Amino acid sequence: MKVFSLEGKKILITGASSGIGAKIAIMAAEFGACVTLTGRSMEKLNIVRNHMKANEHDLFPMDLTNEESILQLSSSGHKFDGVVYNAGVIDYTPVKFINQAKFNKIFDINFTAIVLLNGLFIKNKRLNKNASLVFVSSVSSQLGVQGTALYAASKAALNAYARITASELAIQGIRSNSISPGIVKTGTHIGDDVTNLAVHESKYPLGYGTPEDIGHLVIYMLSNASRWMTGTDIKIDGGYSLHS
Amino acid sequence: MDINKFIEKFSQQFDETDADVFTPEIVFKELEEWSSLTALSVIAMIDDEYGVMISGKEIEGAEHITDLFELVVHKKNN
Repeated sequence: MKVFSLEGKKILITGASSGIGAKIAIMAAEFGACVTLTGRSMEKLNIVRNHMKANEHDLFPMDLTNEESILQLSSSGHKFDGVVYNAGVIDYTPVKFINQAKFNKIFDINFTAIVLLNGLFIKNKRLNKNASLVFVSSVSSQLGVQGTALYAASKAALNAYARITASELAIQGIRSNSISPGIVKTGTHIGDDVTNLAVHESKYPLGYGTPEDIGHLVIYMLSNASRWMTGTDIKIDGGYSLHS
Repeated sequence: MDINKFIEKFSQQFDETDADVFTPEIVFKELEEWSSLTALSVIAMIDDEYGVMISGKEIEGAEHITDLFELVVHKKNN
């Protein structure tokens, strides 16, 4: 259906070199978008682009925690109709082991980098009218999974940030929402056996998710089909939180 | 690396189990207090104290505290 199309839209996706971000980039291209992909490795970004339906896609290799790179990206000529803040890191540090270095490591990438980049996009007028901002949070931001204090707190901060952004940008017709996925099987997560210490797939009534499951939701959030939705968070977790 | 210090640090991740239960040959996963949170704490302790990252699989593969100690020694030297 045309309302779900991303034809003519310019979309930025952070953390697009692997996992969920890469899948979102490939799907957004299938739905007609011109995609700007950021990630740390140019080589990996190139591999993703080779899987994308051809269009005027851009690759922007960068480290999101590098302020210089953020300034470059936000002052480049690009203007976007949608941004998917997907880059993030998982962490399983029990509360008693949290220290300043660990706190910085998780919050720098999961929260601070996004706040700085998004702020500059708005300040530098890099977002088109009616743009859609999608912040990839986590269902753990609403739960009590042991070991996830830093990760969950950084994502909860992101949910709050997305809501306030929605409030401030509504006047421009710009929408801001977060999505809160449960565990998704990606290249990195399959190998992430520490995750298995904290959670087990049997706790997921519908099993772990796939990157496509998240991609479909993000396409909807970026498309005009969700034009009346802003300031909300969508949980997508295969029923994991049903029993919590 | 001193195994006694390692065992002491390991035992500190428990709150209810008597300290003298912790011997090099104890099968730590059979301890009543052992849980996924203890496993995460042991991983964090080893990272903090020895600068070595061990995986969940490696914890699962270890039976005695000595197995973990030898793994940490091996990783530190390689």
